[in-house]
Amino acid sequence: MYTLLSGLYKYMFQKDEYCVLILGLDNAGKTTFLEQTKTRFSKNYKGMSLSKITTTVGLNIGTIDVGKARLMFWDLGGQDELQSLWDKYYAESHGVIYVIDSTDEERLSESKEAFEKMISSEALEGVPLLVLANKQDVPSCLSVPDIKTAFSDCAPKIGKRDCLVQPCTALTGDGVNEGIEWMVKCVVRNIHRPPRQKDIT
Amino acid sequence: MRILILGLDGAGKTTILYRLQVGEVVTTIPTIGFNVETVTYKNLKFQVWDLGGQTSIRPYWRCYYSNTDAVIYVVDSSDRDRMGISKSELVAMLEEEELKKAILVVFANKQDMEQAMTPTEVANALGLPALKDRKWQIFKTSATKGTGLDEAMEWYDTPCRTFTEIFKPLNTPRFDYKTIILKLK
Repeated sequence: MYTLLSGLYKYMFQKDEYCVLILGLDNAGKTTFLEQTKTRFSKNYKGMSLSKITTTVGLNIGTIDVGKARLMFWDLGGQDELQSLWDKYYAESHGVIYVIDSTDEERLSESKEAFEKMISSEALEGVPLLVLANKQDVPSCLSVPDIKTAFSDCAPKIGKRDCLVQPCTALTGDGVNEGIEWMVKCVVRNIHRPPRQKDIT
Repeated sequence: MRILILGLDGAGKTTILYRLQVGEVVTTIPTIGFNVETVTYKNLKFQVWDLGGQTSIRPYWRCYYSNTDAVIYVVDSSDRDRMGISKSELVAMLEEEELKKAILVVFANKQDMEQAMTPTEVANALGLPALKDRKWQIFKTSATKGTGLDEAMEWYDTPCRTFTEIFKPLNTPRFDYKTIILKLK
């Protein structure tokens, strides 16, 4: 009887909370992606105008509810010096979104380096990984196959964890829903990192 | 917008306040009590409270916490010895219920000094990465030289504007009685 009641209570008043990191080089579009996500997934959210977003030097946060899951985003600054702060968040995150600027071919290798360093961390083992090939609206940008080729030698390090490369345009919102829905599906089914239970307030 | 400027004594809070308000360096003496000024930056008005930072007056900071939209926490980046105290004051402050919704902006001040710590070092020393449910930003500034403040306020511009955009509808009266009476006539 107790189990039944507590189960019912959980069903009605608790949400499973998952923490998702948003990483990538500076100017990749992480904050824009976060704002776009918040606008699309929360009803009463009036986001800041996307054109006004400036460099993040610290942390932006956001929370959305998708079904029974609550995703909490940590959008960290991507500048070189700030990358040393990333690993402080690894142990508590349930998923990682890595944003790549598809128009910036010059810095693709730099992005790959940061990516490799991130996935090598033991604290992120088994955590689902969503790679966003952002800014697909620019005609001359790199396509998903191009990026996959460039990142191909990371495959052994990615190993068995869930990984998806998703084309997207954070500015217009193309590919955002697909990405988030995939992420929700993966974090929910990943039994190695159980969610935090949070009362709905 | 109500902004608090907090930090240990000698961090440069008052210098920052007057740099923002009048754009020049004023000679300051240690603040005992508080300075309050209205700062206009790019057509946005902020009410800025600069509270004294000495050990004896820090317990009174909490009297000013209610209705605060943002906290500017000023740190003397060259004062490595007192980073620990600065951290514990910050942590104690952020635990306050009244500041739960406030945005945290850290100014790593005195960057003109040779032995100044980098913003990343300051962020680590203050334990900022441990903050998981609050938006925070860090900027390197030098209040006496005036560097970095523009960038810092530039960022500040964004959330403020959305703030005013969101809350504007609340300020306009829901019912305009004059029009209603006219319509009835």
